[in-house]
Amino acid sequence: MDLSLAIFVQIIVAALLVIGLMVGNAVVMVYMERKVAGFIQRRPGPYEVGPWGTLQALCDSMKLLAKQLYRPGNVDIILYYLAPILAFFPVLLLFLPIPFGPYLTALNVNEGIILILAFAGLGVLSNLLAGWSSNNKYSLLGAARAVSQTVAYEIPMILALLAVVFQCGSMDLKNVTEQQGAWPWEWNVLTQPLAFFIYVVSLVGETNRAPFDLPEAESELAAGFHTEYSGMGFALFFLSEYANMLLVSLVAAVFFLGGYKGPVADGFWWIFIKAYAIMFFLVWIRWTFPRVRFDQLLNINWKWLLPLSLLNLWLTAIIVKLLI
Amino acid sequence: MNDILNNIFHSLARLFADLEAWLAPFLPSQDLAAYLAFAFYVLLLLGGGLVAVLARNLVRATLGLIITFLGVAGMYLLLASPFLALMQLLIYVGAVCVLIFFAIMLTKNTSDGEEARCPRLSNLSLAGLAGLAPLVVIGPLIYQGTSSLVTRRPADTVANLGEGLLSIDLLSFELISIILLVAMAGAVYLAFRPHGGRAR
Repeated sequence: MDLSLAIFVQIIVAALLVIGLMVGNAVVMVYMERKVAGFIQRRPGPYEVGPWGTLQALCDSMKLLAKQLYRPGNVDIILYYLAPILAFFPVLLLFLPIPFGPYLTALNVNEGIILILAFAGLGVLSNLLAGWSSNNKYSLLGAARAVSQTVAYEIPMILALLAVVFQCGSMDLKNVTEQQGAWPWEWNVLTQPLAFFIYVVSLVGETNRAPFDLPEAESELAAGFHTEYSGMGFALFFLSEYANMLLVSLVAAVFFLGGYKGPVADGFWWIFIKAYAIMFFLVWIRWTFPRVRFDQLLNINWKWLLPLSLLNLWLTAIIVKLLI
Repeated sequence: MNDILNNIFHSLARLFADLEAWLAPFLPSQDLAAYLAFAFYVLLLLGGGLVAVLARNLVRATLGLIITFLGVAGMYLLLASPFLALMQLLIYVGAVCVLIFFAIMLTKNTSDGEEARCPRLSNLSLAGLAGLAPLVVIGPLIYQGTSSLVTRRPADTVANLGEGLLSIDLLSFELISIILLVAMAGAVYLAFRPHGGRAR
């Protein structure tokens, strides 16, 4: 490893940019979520604050900043305050290996995808700590659900990505992008349609979004693992949740949809357009499908996604072996 | 647009190279930085281990274990094996510790449980002996000095690791697989519950 000032400065600048991206992303996503939900349910959504309600999300975040931090009695104080911090900071690291443009990568690592998957595991841990330390049955149940769900959905997700890694022969996100072309028929989604399907389904499970949002199912668990958090504690969970959504969408864009490559000119605009298209899809299905039951959720994963992803990996390995 | 960005990055890189040459006397050298990193990871390892052993509450003990695993991952990083370091995080922190947490949550966990009592002196001394046991193997190595024993392995790329596991280290790889298989079969046997019956 090369220690140099340039790399340090690069990482610090990148971390600042990523924080900006996370906050901006949360504001945009909250607005999009409420507006799309409104249109799907044939109502206007937010329209009072600012033109077409665009300032609503800003006002909400101001409210969260100004709220009192309330700590319930008998919580495990260290773990209670550690959990939201632990949810927020690993996400910063996750954005570093993403190639946003031909030259816009904060950290060039050969095992970029492993880096992302490794630090994504810390997110579950924060959910767990939050649920356990809150001294609340709803929180504990939410945390227990979060774990069994995330651990389960991580496996088909990794196997789907592994199929693409087999095909490209590289774990470097930039290299994977470079092997795809600008036009949709040159993307990996055409050669790996099953992997893309599995990835998108397990992405919903991994980010705890409806219809798979059992850890925070409000009709059964109040708010799940973050029931006892108010103000900035809740805001940090909220931010990291939306950042995680953006991250898995960016990874999907890189691995299956050609990353920053696109017609006319390559650049960060394409990767963001693709990632936000996937996010729009996530919002869309959230307001379209009802929540599944917990046993159904686990059955989908262990009885369908896992065998399918293993089959896909096996087929990919055979085809790659035959072609080379 | 991309050309402009590229130009900006290149001029920035030149600027930083100049700045670094100018600052060189004030920056820690590569060796010193490595020692500092080593000290930090040792601190993580020992501190995490102490928390894991001394905590009066299982969840905090597991948190100590996680800190220890982070220290181990840092050591791998320092040994120029980033892939192993990331795998350490992915498997131990992301999966093993989470499963331990899960097991803790399924049990009734109180802070005045069995694990919170002060252990007896005989237990403590036995535990100390067990902790020192690895010294039997490592001690002579430390005494001899290990620099002559280290042979440079090929670079830590995934391809090299895979080839190594399926050629030179095939036997140990298979043995580890058998151990894991036996452990899994044992766990299934212990938890298996015939219809209407009770777990063994």
